[in-house]
Amino acid sequence: MTLLEGRDLRKTYRLGRRNTVDALRGVDIEIEAGEMVAIMGPSGSGKSTLMHVLGLLHAPDPKDGPAPTLRFDGRDLTRLSDRQRTALRAREMGFVFQQFNLVPTLSAAENVGLAAEYAGERHGRARAKATEALALVGLAERADHRPSELSGGEQQRVAIARALVNGPSLVLADEPTGNLDSRRSAEVLGLLRTLNREQGRTFVLVTHDPAVGGACGRIVHMRDGLVASAAERELAVA
Amino acid sequence: MRPLRNLARSRLRTVLTITGITVGIWALVVFGSMANKINALIDGGTTYYSTKVVVSDASGGQLGTAPMSIGTLDAIRRLPEAAVAFAEVSGLLDPTQTTGFGVPQSYAGSDAGADQGREVFVLHAAQGRLLDATDAGADHVVLGSDLARSLKKAPGDTVTIHGVPFAVVGVLEPTLTAPDTSAQMPLAAAQRLYAADLPQVLRDRIPASQLATDIVVFPNAGVTTEALAAAIRAAVPGVTAMTGADFDRNVKSSTAIFSAIIMGVALISLIVGGLSVINTMAMSVAERTREIGIKRAIGGSRVRVVRELVAEAGLIGLIGGIAGLALGALVVFLANDAGRSNGTILFDLTPATAVTAILFATFLGMAAGVVPSIHAARLDPVAALRYE
Repeated sequence: MTLLEGRDLRKTYRLGRRNTVDALRGVDIEIEAGEMVAIMGPSGSGKSTLMHVLGLLHAPDPKDGPAPTLRFDGRDLTRLSDRQRTALRAREMGFVFQQFNLVPTLSAAENVGLAAEYAGERHGRARAKATEALALVGLAERADHRPSELSGGEQQRVAIARALVNGPSLVLADEPTGNLDSRRSAEVLGLLRTLNREQGRTFVLVTHDPAVGGACGRIVHMRDGLVASAAERELAVA
Repeated sequence: MRPLRNLARSRLRTVLTITGITVGIWALVVFGSMANKINALIDGGTTYYSTKVVVSDASGGQLGTAPMSIGTLDAIRRLPEAAVAFAEVSGLLDPTQTTGFGVPQSYAGSDAGADQGREVFVLHAAQGRLLDATDAGADHVVLGSDLARSLKKAPGDTVTIHGVPFAVVGVLEPTLTAPDTSAQMPLAAAQRLYAADLPQVLRDRIPASQLATDIVVFPNAGVTTEALAAAIRAAVPGVTAMTGADFDRNVKSSTAIFSAIIMGVALISLIVGGLSVINTMAMSVAERTREIGIKRAIGGSRVRVVRELVAEAGLIGLIGGIAGLALGALVVFLANDAGRSNGTILFDLTPATAVTAILFATFLGMAAGVVPSIHAARLDPVAALRYE
C-alpha cells in the first residue's frame, strides 16, 4: 500500500531579489507503508528540502509547471492550511534530526511527553506514553535527566522516542547518525531497523552515510533537485 | 512549572524586568491608596452635606470656623422652608496646627438629638457609647477612631482639651472621613472651649452660650436644599449657606487633579513596565528561535507557541504585581503608622485596589508578551531549526 506519494514536487527558495535556488525541480516519489527508505545525494541535491516537503514542514510550490500532488494515506495534502499541516505532523509523523533538537529545559520524559501533548493527550496520559516510548529505546532509567546530562547517543534515542510516542505512520529522519561516532551510530541504526522490522514502522532517512543507506530497503538518489535513480534492493528478512 | 523554568534561564534579565513592573505597581498601589483615602473623605462629605444646608459666617469662608451669634438660629427657624435647625461649634484641637495634608484634629459640639433623626450620616460607637441628652452640660467626649488611637485613649480615660479635662465615654467606629479625627462633645462644652480662645473684645460682646461656628438646617418635606439655601441667603445677611452641590463643586473639583496624577502614574508604569516586558520577551524569543522551531516541527501549533510565551510574560507581570503590592502595602502601613501620632492617615489600601494592581500587572505582562509571541509563532520551522 502506498503511504506517501509525491508527483512533480517543486520548491524554489528566494535568497535575494535575483538569487533563487531551485531546490526541487519536479520530484516524483512513492513510499510504501512499512518501508525503510534512504534518500542520498551530495550536498545541495535537494534531499533535505524533499524531506521538509514530505514532512509537511514546507508546502510544495503550487505554480511553475504541472500542479504538484502530495498524497498521504490517500489524502491530498497540497492545499492544507498551516494549522492542518501542523496537526498532521503532530499525530501522524515523527521527526528525528541530526542535531537531536531536544528542548534543553525539559527532561527526557518531558521532551517526549511534549510531542504527545501536541497530539492532543492530556498531561498525565502524555507522561505515561513518554515513559513507554523511552522504555522502547532503552532509556527508561534516564527519563528524568535533562538533555545536557545525556550522551549524544542517548539524546538521539530520546529524539527517536519522541518521534515514536504518538505511533506515527511515518518517521522522517534527517542525518540521524550524523553527529554520532560509529559505535553509537550503529546502535541508533540498529534501533531504527528493529522498529521497522518488528513494528512495521515506515522510515524515510536522509543521509550521507553509506552504512545508513546500506541498512535501508531502498535508496533514492538525488542530484540537482531531481531523483537520479532509484537503486533498490530487497532487504533480507532476518 | 515550565514557564518558571524558562524565566529562570536568564535570571538577571527576568529579575530586572520584574523589578520594573514592581516599581510601577508599587507606585500604583501607594497613589491608589492615597486616592482611596481622599475619595472616602470626599464621599463622607457628600453624604453628610446631601440632605442639609450648613450656614456659617461669611467672613470665615464656607468651611470656616469664624464665630457667629446663635441669634441667627432664630431667624433661620422662622423660615417656612426650614424644618429643623441647630447650632454647632467646632475648632481645632491644636490651634497652632496650620493646614496640612489630611484632615486636622478637631473638636465639634452640638446637642445630642438636635437633628431630630434627620441626619443621614449616622455615627456608631465602637467602644462605650455615643453622647445623649444626659451628657448636656457635662465635660464628656466621644473620640473618632483615629484620634483615639493617636491619643491612646479609651472609654473611662480622661483627655485634656485646651487645658480642660474631659471624660471619654465612647470611641467611634471608623468612618474613613472627618469624624475619625474629631472629638464630639456637648454644645455647651464646645462653646466654652471656643470662647476661651476668642479675643477679649469678642468674648465681652458675645457670651459663650450664644456662640456658634455654623448652623445646620434641614429642609421641610418638598423643599430642596437649594431652595432652602436661597431662602436663608435672602433672609439672613452676612452668612454663607452651603449645600451638597456647593460642597461637590468646591471640594470634588480639587480632587480631580489627584485623579489625573494617579492616571499618570498608571500610564507611566504601563509604558515602562510594558516596554521592558516586550524587550525581555523579544530577547527570549530570539534566544529560543531554535527551540520554537523544534516545537513547531514536532506538531506544536502557532496558538500553543503564543500561549506558552504569553504565559511566561504574564508570569513576569504577576510576580512583579505581587512584589509591587507587597512593597506598596508595606509603605502604606509604615506611613499610616507614622502619621497616626499627628492624625495624618493618608492611605487606605482597599482589597479592590490590591486585586486591581495584581490583575493590571498580569494583563500588562500578557499584553506585552503578545507581539514577540506572534513573531515567534510566525517563524518558519525549518529556518528556525537551522538557527544557531
